[in-house]
Amino acid sequence: MRDQPIWKARTEPTTTPHQPAELTLDQCIKCNICVTACPVTAVTDLFPGPKYEAPQGGRFRQETQPSTDHSIDYCSGCRVCNMVCPTGVRIAEINARVRAHMVKTGQIKGRARLRNNLLARPETLGKLGQPLAPLTNLLLHNTLGRWFAHKLLGIAPHAALPHFASHKFSSWFRKHTPLSMVTRKVVYFHGCATEYYEPRVGKAAVHVLEANGFEVLVPPQNCCGLPLLSNGEFQAAHTYHEKNIHHLVKYIRQGYVIVGTSTSCTLTLKEEAPELLDNFSPEARLLAENTYDLSEFLLLLWETGDLNTENLRPLPLTLPYHPPCQYRAHRLGIPSLELLQLIPELQIQLSQAACCGVAGTYGYKQEKYEIAMRVGEPLFQFVRHSRAPLVLCDSETCRWQITRATGLPAIHPIELLAAAYGFPAEEPLRTVLATYANNQVAVELH
Amino acid sequence: MNDVLVIGAGLSGLVAAWQAVENGRSVRVVAKGWGITHWHAGCIDVLGYYPLDNPEPVVALETAVSRLATEHPQHPYALIRLDNLQTAIEAFKALCATANYPLHGSLTRNWLLPSALGTFRPTCLAPATMIAGDLTDNTPMLIVGFSRWLDFAPALVADNLTHQGIQATHVTLDLPSLRQRKIVTALTIANLMETPAFRAELVNALKPYLSKAGRIGFPAVLGYTQATAVHQTLQKELGRPVFEIPTLPPSIPGMRLHHILLHTIRQKGGMVLEGLEATAATTQNGRITGLYTSAATRHRLHHAHHFILATGGILGGGITTNYTGEITETIFNLPLSTPVNRQSWFRRDFLDPQGHPIYQTGVRVNQQLQPLNENGQPIYENLQAIGTILANWEPIRERSLEGVALATGFIAGRGKTVTSHKTQTTSTSN
Repeated sequence: MRDQPIWKARTEPTTTPHQPAELTLDQCIKCNICVTACPVTAVTDLFPGPKYEAPQGGRFRQETQPSTDHSIDYCSGCRVCNMVCPTGVRIAEINARVRAHMVKTGQIKGRARLRNNLLARPETLGKLGQPLAPLTNLLLHNTLGRWFAHKLLGIAPHAALPHFASHKFSSWFRKHTPLSMVTRKVVYFHGCATEYYEPRVGKAAVHVLEANGFEVLVPPQNCCGLPLLSNGEFQAAHTYHEKNIHHLVKYIRQGYVIVGTSTSCTLTLKEEAPELLDNFSPEARLLAENTYDLSEFLLLLWETGDLNTENLRPLPLTLPYHPPCQYRAHRLGIPSLELLQLIPELQIQLSQAACCGVAGTYGYKQEKYEIAMRVGEPLFQFVRHSRAPLVLCDSETCRWQITRATGLPAIHPIELLAAAYGFPAEEPLRTVLATYANNQVAVELH
Repeated sequence: MNDVLVIGAGLSGLVAAWQAVENGRSVRVVAKGWGITHWHAGCIDVLGYYPLDNPEPVVALETAVSRLATEHPQHPYALIRLDNLQTAIEAFKALCATANYPLHGSLTRNWLLPSALGTFRPTCLAPATMIAGDLTDNTPMLIVGFSRWLDFAPALVADNLTHQGIQATHVTLDLPSLRQRKIVTALTIANLMETPAFRAELVNALKPYLSKAGRIGFPAVLGYTQATAVHQTLQKELGRPVFEIPTLPPSIPGMRLHHILLHTIRQKGGMVLEGLEATAATTQNGRITGLYTSAATRHRLHHAHHFILATGGILGGGITTNYTGEITETIFNLPLSTPVNRQSWFRRDFLDPQGHPIYQTGVRVNQQLQPLNENGQPIYENLQAIGTILANWEPIRERSLEGVALATGFIAGRGKTVTSHKTQTTSTSN
């Protein structure tokens, strides 16, 4: 007998009429819980706190009134406020929409806007930079290059810019020979970071999906648009969103679902893009409702007994794991943690830190770099104290930020899962596993 | 699958989760957000007024609670029994003492502490940082505020106390460290208090006003995680007893208790997930089998053996009303003890000494805290309800919110039935 949903169970994805985020400000009871939880407010008074911005400033946001939003650009968009709010005010979304209004009305302009537009286009940067990888890496990662980026554009000279990969993920995938045991099918959304900077994450995702009998498709796709959304460049973000709808909805109509390893990309397709851009077309909804974070997807398989756990090898390591704020904003709990707990002998130290600070492009900006580093300090301390050889984290910019601050390499949880399935690991995980294996041999010889 | 799924992370929910992990049960807490822990005074009020028409605060607590339980057999205190309340209080004191944030008090006698309005606040357990404010002692007090922080008015406190025969004066300090900030919140000051430089600045600014003051009252911002150390240092440096007065939300003393509970639950392997709003449940053969929480574009289903409903009352969001007079429990649609119609929700006067019937709305439960149907039978075998969602009491008027939250959360989390109380020992007060 199946479980009986009781009277108001809404087990289907919601199709209730959309309520603009701004309407939720009336639910604010001014309790200040968000102010106590905001990781930015905790380190700078350039940002007075979520309550003062979205709901309180919102009451004065009228055409005829002077702007109250001088400090709102210091919101990093981490959504910690949304998560702790007891009354359901969508604070971070209101802030993002106010920032877009500021861009539209010329309140963010000149060099800052140019810089923001550059940082917010990882796809364009990747297309230009990756093919010339050794050269572009040299240009971006030497003192002179960073000096120019700093002086001309206001990009913080010490912020953790990633390295272009020697090959694109999609190039690898075209040459890749899938496993033959195919029973199910899925579309993989790799995102810009996997495509241009860390193809190893995508390879691990493909391996794990194939180990579970999936045929993986990687159709043409674009940047999810999140960096543009968080920089208030809504028109450009809308173009990307529409392109992705165009690319992906036809697969959904054939019965595929979309899975992604970049938590912020999947959150954007699920919720942020439709919500911020007021894009609730049937196609946008279809894409939103059929997009899954890969760990979420694998955990759902596990819950129905459809995940291959027999072939998981023990990994007797103890590793710190930071669930990024963008991941927690999916409001699923911490699926990656539950998934990692399926790996025999693996011990996870769970980070309770609110945010790594970088928040996508925020920590790259000269005027916000110091704030971002201070926001991340509790996390960095946790990571340093772990004395582990590497850190686990689902989000790419967080991984780069953690590595920049602590010197410790960071990988996506799926890479560890792929290793547990026995697929060959890439650096930095390969060295860690090799070191561990050597130690084991040494112990046994001893 | 977890042993226990707690819905709600207010005081009762966190206490239940703490007791569950202490008793070796695996726990997940799902909560829409934070709530009462950041609003309440950070004390455990067990019973402030009884009978409710008596304006004098309760002094002998144990006697008053016993009398209430006899006269109101459906009140949560009557259902859970006095010895369980006693055990919960002792265990909670032990928890806070271990966290170096001792709470003082017992069921023998209520403290009488000042509120932020300068009124009398009867409470059972108060942190060490507050007890020097006891108003049964008439040592003259100086109430201190900060000019850059508007959430606490020392003149209001002192004037009201003076009118009630308590010797109180006040001073508002204009400290350079606060003046240079664009914005000052309770947490700003609490964090600054943990730095020696700020405390030195404070002590120096205060010295000229100390002469007649036998004790010094501050808003409750004397440190966040280091409150005990801050309090002791200030007493030493000022050479007088120092006490805190709870403020408007966010309440730092409430957050300290929240921090202690959260830290303990997580340290012992419990998961507390905020931002997950429970929306619905699945049932089978008189048992709850799963709980849905809303996520981006979809819902997540959580399975567990036992479910504890700690979503709060009308303020907390566990019960909702609409303008046509419908009153609903938001997740399981449990039957509520509800005033008959919309017209009888309220009495005519806002401060009617009888209170408003709507505030007694809640879920009726048995001694095992299982919600009951109209025939008095448990609806779901593995569901318990705790805290302010319960019927037949008035937390605000009685000043009993934390006491009921603590005791009901304690029993539900422990996972043993009330009838077996005689074999219980205080396993946590080691």
